[in-house]
Amino acid sequence: RQPGMAEAAGDAGLGPAAAQEGAELAAVIGATVPTGFEQTAAEEVQEKLGSASRISRDRGKIYFEVPARSLPQVHRLRSVDNLFVVVQEFKDYQFKENKEDALKDLEDLVKKLPWTNPLKVWELNNSLKKKKTKRKKHNLQNPASREKLSGGGEEGGADQNNTNDQEDCAQNPVAVEPTGGQDTENPQGVTSRNGVEEEEDNEQSDVKVEVQASAESGAKAGDGQTGEGEAKVLRFRVTCNRAGDKHSFTSNEAARDFGGAVQEHFQWKADMTNFDVEVLLNIHNNEVVVGIALTEESLHRRNITHFGPTTLRSTLAYGMLRLCDPQPTDIIVDPMCGTGAIPIEGAAEWPYCYHIAGDNSPQAVKRAANNICSLLRKNESKDSSSALGVPLDIVQWDICNLPLRTGSVDIVVTDMPFGKRIGSKKKNWDLYPACLMEMGRICTPGTGRAVLLTQDKKCFAKALSRVGHIWRRAQTVWVNVGGLHAAVYLLRRTWERAEERRPFW
Amino acid sequence: MKLLTHNLLSSHVPGLRPGGGFPLRIELGHPSELPPEPLPNYEADEEFLRRLHHVLLEVEVLEGSLQCPDSGRRFPISRGVPNMLLTEDEA
Repeated sequence: RQPGMAEAAGDAGLGPAAAQEGAELAAVIGATVPTGFEQTAAEEVQEKLGSASRISRDRGKIYFEVPARSLPQVHRLRSVDNLFVVVQEFKDYQFKENKEDALKDLEDLVKKLPWTNPLKVWELNNSLKKKKTKRKKHNLQNPASREKLSGGGEEGGADQNNTNDQEDCAQNPVAVEPTGGQDTENPQGVTSRNGVEEEEDNEQSDVKVEVQASAESGAKAGDGQTGEGEAKVLRFRVTCNRAGDKHSFTSNEAARDFGGAVQEHFQWKADMTNFDVEVLLNIHNNEVVVGIALTEESLHRRNITHFGPTTLRSTLAYGMLRLCDPQPTDIIVDPMCGTGAIPIEGAAEWPYCYHIAGDNSPQAVKRAANNICSLLRKNESKDSSSALGVPLDIVQWDICNLPLRTGSVDIVVTDMPFGKRIGSKKKNWDLYPACLMEMGRICTPGTGRAVLLTQDKKCFAKALSRVGHIWRRAQTVWVNVGGLHAAVYLLRRTWERAEERRPFW
Repeated sequence: MKLLTHNLLSSHVPGLRPGGGFPLRIELGHPSELPPEPLPNYEADEEFLRRLHHVLLEVEVLEGSLQCPDSGRRFPISRGVPNMLLTEDEA
């Protein structure tokens, strides 16, 4: 599908030589991250790449500059969902009030943009992709692949392992990498509507759209091949996200017209399913960013109708773990682990801590065990076929009565049941205080901490107010999980000691 | 189940005296390769540390049980996962 060697007429300089040149360039990279964890992602970038990041006002994005040869390390960032190379950013773009004029401006913009270097970076990125092991293999290092932790079939798993675009084109024209069935964030435009942002009331947010050239209504999957005859023409599509209440046009219109101009300029072929180049046009009020995607877009399932256990995306799990600042030899417990997303991320990234996953459901425990075995088997440094030597274990237990010694755990990190999807709001009312008490008992006084994700913020706040003698709220991160407003709470354990197993001490 | 996990587990059968649930007795026939007590200056003993690391993190109980020292109640371990759930009557 990736025609790494293709040369587009009208834009010479793509091919292996260009990739070589590309390595020498400084690339401005844009990364999408779970909303609320921009700072965490910036810290990871600083730590692993040595670059400072800018956090965009368009939530869920950070920007940083790296030499293009660092792309492999960029792909290994754990807090990042998707990557793109920036063609140009406009901090304060003035849109004309009249729709036709505004769209004409966008069209005219295309030929003025500095495409050459970003395209070289894109080319380099392609050559990296080809070297990677096939996506279907579980790859511990690729966050997107790790999303394939499956909760089993109940999330409608059939199409999730589908890396063949052709099968997708009927109902979902977006050629994507599945994210393993968990609730993903909404398309960016919708996220901004839900977010705590300046223009909340009048904001129009459009979902991602793809351009369709007027003549060709998207080359259908049938011809699949990248080459038609002699000249191998690149295929592209434009994805536009637009947020703001002062634009006179929709994202559909912008994508269409911008795409038309791109086609004109490069003589590429528009193809919304089988594309080589994905051009991103992100408009957030007066901030406009044109980019080229370096990862395939996460699957944003527009009709999330499945009910059942959800798997936390690993980028969010990573962000939560980072928040509690794990130190070597820390004991980290997820007492409601579900399919094990958090402990797996933990063991992979913090191997000098010890991770224990637990759940009361036999299905969850079994699935977590399977997920751990199959993922960690691919760990390069281990050639054994089990999780021996990996600092991770699973126990079946009841969160309200944990078989763990008092004060023996340094960190508790978990995704608390959301009232709407598991149990009920009423159940949470009783469950939350009991959870907080037990988590307080097992946690080391003074130095212990907890990082808890919940959507039931009211219930949580109420429960927390009753356990003020053991937990203090240190930080709150507002996040968006599958379109729902959730919060991640960082709590610190007070110095007060717990008595041995009294129900309400 | 790894030995390090066992170190953190305690029986939670109701009505035990304080501390009566720990340590759970591991039931299987495998002898340990460790001395009964650490030697003085064990931190510098590389060989000992290797064996200790091995036993803590690289040995797993796949099938067996954990027995509560005070009550005798057994918690089964199957496929490496201990089941510490109490029955409705017990809890």
